[in-house]
Amino acid sequence: MGEITLTKIKKSFGAVDVLKDIDLEIKDGEFIVFVGPSGCGKSTLLRTIAGLEKVSSGEIEIDGKRVNEVSAADRGLAMVFQSYALYPHMSVRQNLAFGLENSNMPKTEVAERILEAARMLEIEPYLERRPGQLSGGQRQRVAIGRAIVRRPTAFLLDEPLSNLDAELRVSTRAELAALHGRLGSTMIYVTHDQVEAMTLAHRIVVMRAGKIEQVGTPLDLYNTPANRFVAGFIGAPHMNFLAGEVTELQNGAATLATSGGHRLLVPFSGHSLSVGDKLTIGIRPQHITLANDPGSLKVKVRLVEALGSETVIHADLNGEKLLAVVPGQKLISPGDEAHFSVAGAPLHLFDRNGLRVKGC
Amino acid sequence: MTAPTPSPTLTERLGSLLMAPVHLLMRAIDIPLRAVQKAAGIGGMATVFLAPNMLIFGIFVLLPLVINFVYSMTGGTAFFLTERQFVGADQYARLFQCANYLDPMSCQEDAFWTAVGNTFWFVVLQVSLMILTALITALILNRDLAARSFWRAVFFFPVLLSPVVVGLIWKWILQRQGLLNFGLYQFGVEPYTWLTDRNWTFVATIGVSLWAHMGFYALILLAGLQAIPKDLYEAAEMDGTKPARVFWRITLPLLMPNLLVVVVLALIRAVQIFDEVYVLTGGGPGTSTLYLTQYIYETGFASALRNPGLAAAASILMGLVLVVLTLIQLGIGQRGEKKGKR
Repeated sequence: MGEITLTKIKKSFGAVDVLKDIDLEIKDGEFIVFVGPSGCGKSTLLRTIAGLEKVSSGEIEIDGKRVNEVSAADRGLAMVFQSYALYPHMSVRQNLAFGLENSNMPKTEVAERILEAARMLEIEPYLERRPGQLSGGQRQRVAIGRAIVRRPTAFLLDEPLSNLDAELRVSTRAELAALHGRLGSTMIYVTHDQVEAMTLAHRIVVMRAGKIEQVGTPLDLYNTPANRFVAGFIGAPHMNFLAGEVTELQNGAATLATSGGHRLLVPFSGHSLSVGDKLTIGIRPQHITLANDPGSLKVKVRLVEALGSETVIHADLNGEKLLAVVPGQKLISPGDEAHFSVAGAPLHLFDRNGLRVKGC
Repeated sequence: MTAPTPSPTLTERLGSLLMAPVHLLMRAIDIPLRAVQKAAGIGGMATVFLAPNMLIFGIFVLLPLVINFVYSMTGGTAFFLTERQFVGADQYARLFQCANYLDPMSCQEDAFWTAVGNTFWFVVLQVSLMILTALITALILNRDLAARSFWRAVFFFPVLLSPVVVGLIWKWILQRQGLLNFGLYQFGVEPYTWLTDRNWTFVATIGVSLWAHMGFYALILLAGLQAIPKDLYEAAEMDGTKPARVFWRITLPLLMPNLLVVVVLALIRAVQIFDEVYVLTGGGPGTSTLYLTQYIYETGFASALRNPGLAAAASILMGLVLVVLTLIQLGIGQRGEKKGKR
């Protein structure tokens, strides 16, 4: 079992509130990712679950039991640190055994567990080496191995891939996903990399300034971001935002005027809009096409990044920046004028407070 | 169109003004240095740059060492080497001339062997206590104490004092009409003559030298403790490691390089102990706190029948002990490094 429930978690360091009213239910076996910009409190939240930080108020329950006062060691969780935190003077085997020896486990069982984890992670040949003699990727596996041998109810991973190079990060990411499939344990993973979050998570928790902005599956967050922050944070490159105003509402559609005078038609079935409302219009760069149809946006091209399979166009629309990612290779260069079409593109509307407009 | 060059700010002007003499100097030495390089070649320039330092080292370290060795082979009371007669290894033989090697009092130079014995026990006790107290102090100062900087300063301040000042301060405290007896008297304890009791003076020299130097070693150990990543302790906490095991299995092994440095420095300095003890007890009462350096000083310079040759021989022997101690440290250090790489 590995159900974790957080209720009204608050954490302050002096006068600074780092976590504000966090409510979250993590199901058994779930792979959940905390994502957010630096300083949003995601690591602190992980550390409070681990028991390395005490909460200022609120309840932490693991499998239905309140664990606020339970020490880190007795919560049955294992943590993988960003720096790996391997003991540099011990061999890999000693590193893996260290935690098990604390509980006076019989030596044969310690050896068995180490062997099992080492085989699973393919670190058997390095068991007698010291961390200093291993590559970053190997060290990372040892750090995960140290968590695995303890057979915890849940794994807590604090940015475990951030010290690896780009290529290794991609392959280790896939291995982590496979490992989760094999172990079936609850995993809580902290990252600031939204690609990691999208590829690994069952559910993503997007955090900002100590608060949860949205919890949902990766595609939920991508398709229906709850607010402008989530919309901008999830998806690469980031979503484009244009200032707009409602000019007409009829026949299940809203007509919006951009600051440059362009008109955009958005399907709308709710009652929360009225003519004259000022809005922010969100358009994902991938949803823009190059076409000169009525209603397309006339832009000036500033920069073209030809990636081969796709072309990233940085453009300027009456002083507002607009980014388009179009498939294939385009004959277009900086200084050119182009037409960005958003016909049929899902447009996201956010009100003055940055919240998603219901019904669009 | 190029942007107009911005006029220099006040700081920039001040900077170039200050740098002007430096530039001038660089230009002045440029020409002779080029000439030297032409003569010595690129490879020889390292030697050229090292030469001033080597010269100072030669004059103030190497040469005295050699002269001292020559002195140890001469006899008589004269100071000038030219007026002294060559006696070969006589001085060394004199130091080692004993009727019974198990009884220092049977040796011709019984004071030398008393000093060696005193120094040996002083080093053993002082260094062990030094390591222990410095380690405990560093461990405490590494915690989240209130006013941590204040406490760090408190323990470090004695290091800044001149040894003579240290000796005088403690003399004022320990003498018959001193601060300690005054304090004890308030609690009804009779004054005691701490500095004339053989056992207490020995304890006092150890205590005073601990007080004077402990801050320095604690600082080295504190730096080592702070270099141990906090993550390791958190990982140990997650694993449910008991505090004693954390200390023995994590803190101590990772502190070992610093601890080694401290052991060697403390050993060398303990063998050389002189100034504060000389001021505090003068080696007495009797010869109870006569240590090796004081014996050498008094034999060579201060006694009525001064014998610079004998003092030089004793100092060479003491130097040999220090060389052995340093070599042991280097050996252990290198073994530790190899172990770390393996």
